[in-house]
Amino acid sequence: MEKLKLIAGIVLFGSLWGFSEVIIGSAINDAGLPTGAIMTGFFALFFLAFSRKMYRKPGMQFGMSLVAGSLKLFNPFVGCHLCSAIAIMAEGAIFEIIWYRMSYDFRDLNSIRMKSSMGIITAYLTYIGGYIVTQVLTPIASGATFYIENLIVFLPNIFGSGLIAAIIGIVALPITILLSEIDLSLKDTLYYPTTLGISILCWVTVIGNWFIA
Amino acid sequence: MGKEKIIPIFAIILLVVAGSSAAYVYTSQVDKETITLNNREYTIDQLFLLSEQKTIQTVEGEKTGNSVESIINKIGIACPSCYNYTIIGKDGYQQTVEWEIMKTGVLTDLKRIYFPDTPKKFWVRDIIEIEVN
Repeated sequence: MEKLKLIAGIVLFGSLWGFSEVIIGSAINDAGLPTGAIMTGFFALFFLAFSRKMYRKPGMQFGMSLVAGSLKLFNPFVGCHLCSAIAIMAEGAIFEIIWYRMSYDFRDLNSIRMKSSMGIITAYLTYIGGYIVTQVLTPIASGATFYIENLIVFLPNIFGSGLIAAIIGIVALPITILLSEIDLSLKDTLYYPTTLGISILCWVTVIGNWFIA
Repeated sequence: MGKEKIIPIFAIILLVVAGSSAAYVYTSQVDKETITLNNREYTIDQLFLLSEQKTIQTVEGEKTGNSVESIINKIGIACPSCYNYTIIGKDGYQQTVEWEIMKTGVLTDLKRIYFPDTPKKFWVRDIIEIEVN
């Protein structure tokens, strides 16, 4: 039963993350803002940290990233489906590595300085990590050749572009930790229909848009 | 040293790395009117005069520009398929492609290259140089 609850949670939070990447990410992109840094620094960080506290199970965030990345592949608004999907999946794995030694209930982060510092570390490393992984894997996945020199000369740009994500992380993680205090526990009779219903809504909206576009 | 010290110090180090990288990128951007192609300078108008216009279908819809294949053929590269092509943007972003991909591309008047069958990552913008390797 616990396993089933976890799977439902992975699908729910992964779908919400993917949905926000597609719908909100597209709006941010249209506004000419740095989409990747904002999406990682705020939305990805929120869903990853919030679900970690709620479910307290290792591997959950990587599972969520697989769901969110799959949903991104159906994104009708932005052309680079593959690179974004790969970046999201990598972000989940990097988050798991960064938080491996941290407590699930955030008790390690007992001061605002610790929360903001961890926000910087998580947002920055997940963003630049996802960026680098997608630079390596996208050519390979699309049948082209990966040239490492192209990545090396562009590393300063990648490191620099993560600054916005890091700054957002300063406030995003403390806010997430604050919001994670809200009790969202539901009885099983309500939990499964709610998680399933929201997940289906996310997928239907994104796939529906794909057919319309 | 406990987590209480390591985490804030590491966060500051990351901010310094990010900030100095952003400053380096900003100061080292190359902005020029011409495109260096096989070690010769061309304006976009010169390249457009040499080549034919074509429209391709990409994952972001139709893109119209001038055929990269005709540009490469007209500037006198004897054996285009013998080389790889490194396309470099003004921000330092670069992508290397083989002739099979290169010949399918179009170059727009905004100095951006598009390919019909590649992810968006290969569409270098604000091109300043195309190296023939």
